Amino acid sequence: MSEQIEKAIARKYDAGFVSEIESDTFPPGLDEDVIRRISEMKNEPEWMLEWRLQAFRSWLKMKEPDWAHLGYERIDYQSISYYSAPKSMKDKPKSLDEVDPELIRTYEKLGIPLHEQKMLAGVAVDAVFDSVSVVTTFRAKLEEAGVIFCPISEAIQKYPELVKKYLGSVVPRSDNFFAALNCAVFTDGSFVYIPKGVRCPMELSTYFRINELNTGQFERTLIIADEGSHVSYLEGCTAPQRDENQLHAAVVELVALDDAEIKYSTVQNWYPGDENGKGGIYNFVTKRGIAHKNSKISWTQVETGSAITWKYPSCILKGDNSVGEFYSVALTRGRQQADTGTKMIHLGKNTKSTIVSKGISAGNSSNAYRGLVKMGPGADGARNHTECDSLLIGDKCAAHTFPYIESSNPSAIVEHEATTSKVSDDQMFLCKQRGLDAEKAVSMIVNGFCKEVFKELPMEFAVEAGKLLEISLEGSVG
Amino acid sequence: MMLTIKDLHARVEDKIILKGLNLTVKPGEVHAIMGPNGAGKSTLGYVMSGRDGYELVSGSIEMNGEDLMEMDIEERAQQGLFLAFQYPVEIPGVSNMEFMKESVNAIRKARGEEALTAAEFLKIAKEACKQVNLPLDFLKRGVNEGFSGGEKKRNEIMQLILLKPKLVILDESDSGLDIDALKVVADGVNSQRDGKRSFIVVTHYQRLLDFIEPDYVHILADGKIVKSGGPELAKEVESTGYAWLGKPEEAGA
Amino acid sequence: MSDWLAQVIDRADAVANAQKDELASLRQNALAELKQQQWPTRRTEAWRYTSLHPLEDMTLPALSQDVPAVPEIDGVDSLDFVFVNGKLQGDMPKLPKGVSVGGLTDSAMQAAATEVFGTVKPRTHLFGLVNDVLATDGLVIDVAAGAKISQPLRILNFVSAGSETHHRVLVRIGDEASVSVIEHGAGSGASVNTAFAEYALGAKARLEHYRFALHGGDAIHIGGAHFSLGTEARLNSTLVGYGSQLSRLDYDVIHAGQHANAKLNAVYLLAPREHFDLHTNIEHAVPNGTTEENARGIIGDRARAVFNGRIHIHRDAQKTLAELNNRNLLLSRGGTISTKPELEIYADDVQCAHGATVAEIDDKALYYMLSRGIKREQALVMLNFGFIQELVAQMPNKALAKWLEPQLRDRFMLMDVRNGS
Repeated sequence: MSEQIEKAIARKYDAGFVSEIESDTFPPGLDEDVIRRISEMKNEPEWMLEWRLQAFRSWLKMKEPDWAHLGYERIDYQSISYYSAPKSMKDKPKSLDEVDPELIRTYEKLGIPLHEQKMLAGVAVDAVFDSVSVVTTFRAKLEEAGVIFCPISEAIQKYPELVKKYLGSVVPRSDNFFAALNCAVFTDGSFVYIPKGVRCPMELSTYFRINELNTGQFERTLIIADEGSHVSYLEGCTAPQRDENQLHAAVVELVALDDAEIKYSTVQNWYPGDENGKGGIYNFVTKRGIAHKNSKISWTQVETGSAITWKYPSCILKGDNSVGEFYSVALTRGRQQADTGTKMIHLGKNTKSTIVSKGISAGNSSNAYRGLVKMGPGADGARNHTECDSLLIGDKCAAHTFPYIESSNPSAIVEHEATTSKVSDDQMFLCKQRGLDAEKAVSMIVNGFCKEVFKELPMEFAVEAGKLLEISLEGSVG
Repeated sequence: MMLTIKDLHARVEDKIILKGLNLTVKPGEVHAIMGPNGAGKSTLGYVMSGRDGYELVSGSIEMNGEDLMEMDIEERAQQGLFLAFQYPVEIPGVSNMEFMKESVNAIRKARGEEALTAAEFLKIAKEACKQVNLPLDFLKRGVNEGFSGGEKKRNEIMQLILLKPKLVILDESDSGLDIDALKVVADGVNSQRDGKRSFIVVTHYQRLLDFIEPDYVHILADGKIVKSGGPELAKEVESTGYAWLGKPEEAGA
Repeated sequence: MSDWLAQVIDRADAVANAQKDELASLRQNALAELKQQQWPTRRTEAWRYTSLHPLEDMTLPALSQDVPAVPEIDGVDSLDFVFVNGKLQGDMPKLPKGVSVGGLTDSAMQAAATEVFGTVKPRTHLFGLVNDVLATDGLVIDVAAGAKISQPLRILNFVSAGSETHHRVLVRIGDEASVSVIEHGAGSGASVNTAFAEYALGAKARLEHYRFALHGGDAIHIGGAHFSLGTEARLNSTLVGYGSQLSRLDYDVIHAGQHANAKLNAVYLLAPREHFDLHTNIEHAVPNGTTEENARGIIGDRARAVFNGRIHIHRDAQKTLAELNNRNLLLSRGGTISTKPELEIYADDVQCAHGATVAEIDDKALYYMLSRGIKREQALVMLNFGFIQELVAQMPNKALAKWLEPQLRDRFMLMDVRNGS
């Protein structure tokens, strides 16, 4: 039975095509000049360049982390190109009509129509292609509500005070090796500001696409939810199928001021490499939010792509009564490796956090949960509950759990539970005795395993995530 | 003929469990198979449904003239074979509703029928749920997840009602049930007796047969049917036990 | 490299030259490995929460002459081996048939000693290697195949202020043999003490094991107990730890033969500024092994508990059942608990689970008890001591449990009265 299950989980990668688009791409290499040129391309103010250079100087002194349960060839940072943009974007198209139709077709092929009338009603999209934002939809409608949703490169020009105040305030410039690199070379990404008391009228979403060969993508996202506001944001990511590894090192910062709520969902489907581990994206991402009084930050992630995932979306629960959540599904197969989890840093009184992590490993893959729950001395009455389940499919994969728990407050309560299981022969037998084929049975059992996480995704994307797993189970059971 | 089993030998791992079993079942008939523990009662159901590890050594099983052994587990189900499990497994996170809808539609598809819409399915599922006396929220709960032994058995009967199979094997559907639950299970089964659908009722005790009256009773011992008769045979077993078989009861399947 | 390690390496050469026993070449190997080791810092994962500064800064006072009394335990008729500052006191007790005991350098014990020395303990543990090269004191216990030794062997290891000792216990338990060993360490004066024990269990061997690490104060205690289990071997081990300015214990259980069963219980009760670090590592290298591990601690005042429980299921170890549970009660602001239960799993058909909790005193239950007229102190003991007591009660040697229980209770009462949250 287990052979059938393994077959059932083999997967095609649907987003692996390459778009024929002429690009301006920097030659590979990284030094201060490259950073000056990126800053120049973006027409940045002096303070921004200075900020980048300082980050670069600290990066030079830092060591690439090796504590994660990951094995890969050292990355040669001089062989990567740090900027690539479609030539057609040089003149900054004013409207969608001026955007290269090939770019629009690319997103359509990925199921992301950029024409507002064709889009999912109620979802605004920022489409980032290699190093630049191509278009941001529904801006007018959002502006009516006072919501700012634009490429971060534009925010640096238009809203320098907000950017200066919050950029690097949650993830400091020298926080870690990959974050520092991002600070030095980030090219684009999304900026969101929700004013006081505003409930963002639509879902916001950014769609990241790596297209050009040998480039890295270093996007930067900053979301500020002012007092009493509310926003739900989703990002999706894909890349062409190539034999070379490509680096993606993003930084996401969330600021939830008093009584605000940010829901951040990710459906990550970067190219995972082939079944022998050739190619695929190296995904080294730093995501962190700071939650002020009575606010809530909720991370939901569905990670099915990337050759390597190194990612720990975290919450600093600074304000009293703030809430942090982390819901994660990570599916690895082939030779994929994931080391992912979260950090919940409880500083304020009566702060609460919930962690639900579902790891599914198949093939020769390795899937690790790594998490930290820290109860600071001031975290009176704080609570955490963590549930961490692994599902192993086949006898060549691996599943690991590394939860760190630190408590210095006698009234704080931390509960951590972890289990591991397989798709059992009995479950398969029951499903098949009721007339279901192996593919359907596995997909149903795996979806059931992930249900607690999927129900946290916005409705449209829950369906998408379910499908993503379903695609993974498509077409190969004889 | 609904079912024809000829000289069936079957093994589990290295051990031969069934040693020359013969059985024919006509449409609409109810056959009870009784016997001591270890006689091979559950093995029969598993071999018929194609469970991994239950291997045919020799002999044949035909359902409606087709060779069951040539089919995958799900094909047998789609052809109308239903096994009510003695110990139904839990599938966390998959709702009963979702599971049964997929199952009903997989079987409808095999029969060349249209798939039911969610609304259509919900309607018949609710009726079936009521019929086996389970609260409606059981439809939303994970398959068998956290169900008591009795609830699991009733859930199996609910599936029987929904799937409308041709041949039903009830594997000790009475074990662990109190008298009220037993009646619910029996009523569910009896409601599905329509003169065409056939049943094989596997049980250790005569008790269930007070409620589901069989046409034939067979005594299975050491992998073979050693005695066949009418309902009176079950009563005989009730009073004399299996000691007359001359072998101590073995533990296990 | 630290000065402390440098002086260890200097002295190791002297030890190697002085001891011409059959362990000499093994010591030489260990020394070569020791020289390759990095001195652990807070960035070393295994020492993330335990600083070695107390060891580096330790200046030993003049050796104290106090010798504690050997505790007599009602109902426990043990064979006692009393070590004071590493030296065996008095004569060997008269041994029952089937067991032989001697010093590390006894020629009669060399076969057992060389078979066990360094083969159970992981080669990478720095202080294990320090113990390898410096330990000349200790015991070798050899239980013949099939021997059932009913009298427990009790090894008392007392350290006084001013002492530095490196103590080693090597135990070989033959096929189908059974034995009970109690390792009892104590001492709270400023001292440095490493104590490692290795147990090699043959097929169907049984070991009932106790380790009481009842140190305190300025003592520095670094040690471990390491077990290798043969086919169908059974281990039942209980650890009781008090902590001290620096206490660190490493346990390793290696399932080397199939169908072995390990039960590991640990309790720690820490106050006032004690530090206790327990690292356990269960290696399921073969199929069909079973492990059940429970560690529970109460941390009061400004004490710090560190627990790291790893379960490693190797690729071939199908059908493993392994469970680990760690529960902690933090009684006071200023105390800290850091716990990390780890699973590393490379086989799919296994059942593994772990859980960890840090929780406070249940206020509602306390109020309920007080409202029924139970005294506050008593109520607290009942509510919180219960979960420690549960593990103590599981000790197979009931007389030993009976002796231990009131001591733990007293210690708990003292902690709470002084530091109630």
